[in-house]
Amino acid sequence: MERCSNCLGCKWIPFDKIKSQRFGENCPSISYYNFNTYAVRGRFQLGLALLTKDAELSETVTKAIHSCTTCGACDVACKVTRYNLEPHEYNLALKAHAVKEGKLRPKQKEIMESLAKEKTMIAGKSRPSRTAWAEGLGLVDLTKGKADVMFFAGCKASYDEKLQKVARASVKVLRGAGVKVGFLAQSEMCCAVRAEQMGFAEEFEKNARANIKLFAEAGVKTIVTPCSDCYQAFKRRYAALGLQVQVYHVVEYIAKLIEEGALKLTTRVPITVTYHDPCHLGRLGEPFVPWKGGEKKILNQVHLWDPHRPRYNGSKGVYDAPRKVLQSIPGLTLVEMERIREYSWCCGAGGGCSETDTEMSRWTASERVTEANATGAEAIATACPWCEANFRGAADENGKTIEVVDVVELVERAL
Amino acid sequence: MALSREIYGALEAIVGERNISEDLGVLETYRCAAAQSSAHYGPYDHKTPRPQAVLLPGSSAEVQWIVRICNKNDIKFKASTTFWSSMGYIGDDYAIQLDMRRMRSIEIDDRNMFAIVEPYAIGAVVQAEAMKVGLTMNMPGVGCSSSPLASSAGWVGFGPTSISMGCASENMLGSEWVLASGELVRTGSLGAGSGWFCGEGPGPSTRGVLRGFQGSTGSLGVCTRIAIRLHPWPGPTYIPSRGTVPAYKADLPDNFKCYTLCFKNWDDYAKGVALIHENDILFLGHRQFNMFGRDLKTAMIKIITDPDGQLADIPALVADPELKKINEDMKIDIQVVIAGTTKRDTEYKDKALDRILELSGGWKSAFMLDKEMVDYVLMYLIRMGHKNLNYVYCGGYEGNFGLSSNLFVSARVMEEASALKRKWETETKYIAATGGDSDMGSICVIGGGGPTGWEFFTHFDAYDKPSIKGTADFFNDTQRWMNEKGLGVDMGHWNQDVRHEDGHGYTQEEHDAMFAKLPQPLVTAYQYKVRDILNPKHLCGSYYRTLTPSKVGL
Repeated sequence: MERCSNCLGCKWIPFDKIKSQRFGENCPSISYYNFNTYAVRGRFQLGLALLTKDAELSETVTKAIHSCTTCGACDVACKVTRYNLEPHEYNLALKAHAVKEGKLRPKQKEIMESLAKEKTMIAGKSRPSRTAWAEGLGLVDLTKGKADVMFFAGCKASYDEKLQKVARASVKVLRGAGVKVGFLAQSEMCCAVRAEQMGFAEEFEKNARANIKLFAEAGVKTIVTPCSDCYQAFKRRYAALGLQVQVYHVVEYIAKLIEEGALKLTTRVPITVTYHDPCHLGRLGEPFVPWKGGEKKILNQVHLWDPHRPRYNGSKGVYDAPRKVLQSIPGLTLVEMERIREYSWCCGAGGGCSETDTEMSRWTASERVTEANATGAEAIATACPWCEANFRGAADENGKTIEVVDVVELVERAL
Repeated sequence: MALSREIYGALEAIVGERNISEDLGVLETYRCAAAQSSAHYGPYDHKTPRPQAVLLPGSSAEVQWIVRICNKNDIKFKASTTFWSSMGYIGDDYAIQLDMRRMRSIEIDDRNMFAIVEPYAIGAVVQAEAMKVGLTMNMPGVGCSSSPLASSAGWVGFGPTSISMGCASENMLGSEWVLASGELVRTGSLGAGSGWFCGEGPGPSTRGVLRGFQGSTGSLGVCTRIAIRLHPWPGPTYIPSRGTVPAYKADLPDNFKCYTLCFKNWDDYAKGVALIHENDILFLGHRQFNMFGRDLKTAMIKIITDPDGQLADIPALVADPELKKINEDMKIDIQVVIAGTTKRDTEYKDKALDRILELSGGWKSAFMLDKEMVDYVLMYLIRMGHKNLNYVYCGGYEGNFGLSSNLFVSARVMEEASALKRKWETETKYIAATGGDSDMGSICVIGGGGPTGWEFFTHFDAYDKPSIKGTADFFNDTQRWMNEKGLGVDMGHWNQDVRHEDGHGYTQEEHDAMFAKLPQPLVTAYQYKVRDILNPKHLCGSYYRTLTPSKVGL
């Protein structure tokens, strides 16, 4: 907190990448609410004030803290120039502090009760209906049998009837390339990473450890998921808790299959699409790197992490695989938005905001649709059911919507 | 004293419920750790005062109504845009903070080559929008995250491109100010109904009054719109880039040339730079990477151009014999960019630069001629988007020495200044030990050449009390040395006379006691008269230096 120097970088995409004023900002929260309190530099100041009791967790402050979509855009922008600040981890910690003090937003309680009882963060859904999407597919139940990969659909693609097609298409594509696909059937539980994003750190860890145990018992070696939140959970957060399996997002796995020649896309799909990088697949999807150490000063006042610490600045996120897959589809034209890759604009669903701060979340999605429509694309493709759900029905600043598709759906059309 | 419900209600009626807050948590995010940007404001646990409310006005008219209420009720106010510098924050307890971020429009008049900008149109976006029509702007050394309006109306505003485009005072054209009375004043050609094209007449020639050379730091009301001069941009409509965060590189055509010029001593440097001034060949010139310190310069260049680079790499890189040699080669250096408008122009400028190096005994650093490095430096210096590297070592820095003098004067004291800083680095532990010379700055502070715009980057820990106190002691020693040399006020002391250590502003009586003793009291007495007309209740903080005229017999 003390190292922030109020530079403004956390409110904009890396300055080197700004092409216009219209699409230059990076943080949905401050862009919507405008007060400094809603950007991480303000949240650093707020944290210090909470420690010194100069401020309290009022309703306004609670709202500000929870309005962070935990998209990590501030983290990337900050780390263009700073080496001893961790804005993303701080945002998570500040939310966790608010939760610990009992300062919640409407709906959070309901969502967390659902996680506890039904093992899903989609409130109102029951555990037995989790596998409805897989009916008739004949997937291997990994608690009883073996497969090449464990397919983890995730809550959104499992329960949202409009998104179940993503899970089904993923299985179809993988099988088409000869991959034997299994899943955990009725044993599958939410990855719970959205609990962490909402500040429920203990609940996240409890669920993560239960899942790690379950994966081990099922002998899982490789996980494939179409959900970017689940991907980040397994690749980065679970790995920090000891998970040692290969984790792929389905677009990564498809890119691998195409490269190996196991999957051929032959049907023309004449469409112009633009690709939205999901935050948790892109900048937050970097693999976990173990590190033990601390901070020290050298040369009198130079603060550094000792020993050399993983940087986590978004440079190693998954950006190329989905683009390679799209470009492998005959007839498809890919056009890029201004904010892409590590400096992509969030869809607005992260941090639980699609449920807890719906107005801001919808505005964030409509901003992205405006940007997508500015490219002239006919559709916006993404690789995360949460993003797809948030874009669905969102209109741009002129009231125009856009077709929303998952990359996997386009691949399915090209088989 | 809190705002009465009646006053708060009146303010809320102006901006709407969504754009005003008096929540303690929100207000705390509008305080500045006093030691953060200027060591002499310490100690570390002092912040600027907490405002009574924060407002986000959306138009000049809203600002006028807010200011009228402040004027009527003796409420102090301060408008700020990016909230980077402590000078943007209030200095009194009974005060409100205006956050100007909702006012951000940009109108480019490409035919007349200017942009009309509101406060929160930051440099990065103004530059990006201007490039679309083949123009660009003078980017102040403070970087593209700053507000061109604030830099132009409020502060000095020179930077790398000042050599070809001048400083802020040369680029500010017509402007619109809400005075402390609430009156809206239009200056320059705008005041004569002739458009925004000129900062002086036709119309009220008040640019010198409202900003002078140094700027009025938001102390004479609220500047809500200005026009800034735009300059030809001989590049593409945006800067294409490649590379991995954070080392983005510019893909510019070959009419852009970028070199690091090196000299064996400061006399040669002065000779070379004077010839550059005379020959009008540069797009920009800046001593940039020396801000990391003479000993750490190449180590830091390696780190910031490597996506996996870390400060933990410093010890190994500093010990690298090859980098040591390069450091020595680049000991006295400057980065320059040529931007030719035609092939012939590029070739001429390139040849002229080579001849200047021949005449001054200078050379181009081979290390910095690598294509990847050239493209990185081009992006860095044209965009100026890495300003926060100023804080890279420990989160706090302040410029000192501030050698904004004649080139031949500044250059000849550089080694002595470096030795003084080095002494403090080795004999104490208060400031980062980076090799003495950590001078950074532009090749000149006004268009075409002239005085140097230099400062030594002094890095300290803004949350370490001994570090802050020791840095302040070092700055006092710097001032002692500058007095001995007749070099004026040390940059670290430039704002010492405007805010107490506890973050509060000075009273008029305190300013009178200070300025009556300082040189040129007629200037501060004149400024008192200016303020008396434009801001009689002294509502915008104490950054505007004033001396009661009667104290000097006026």
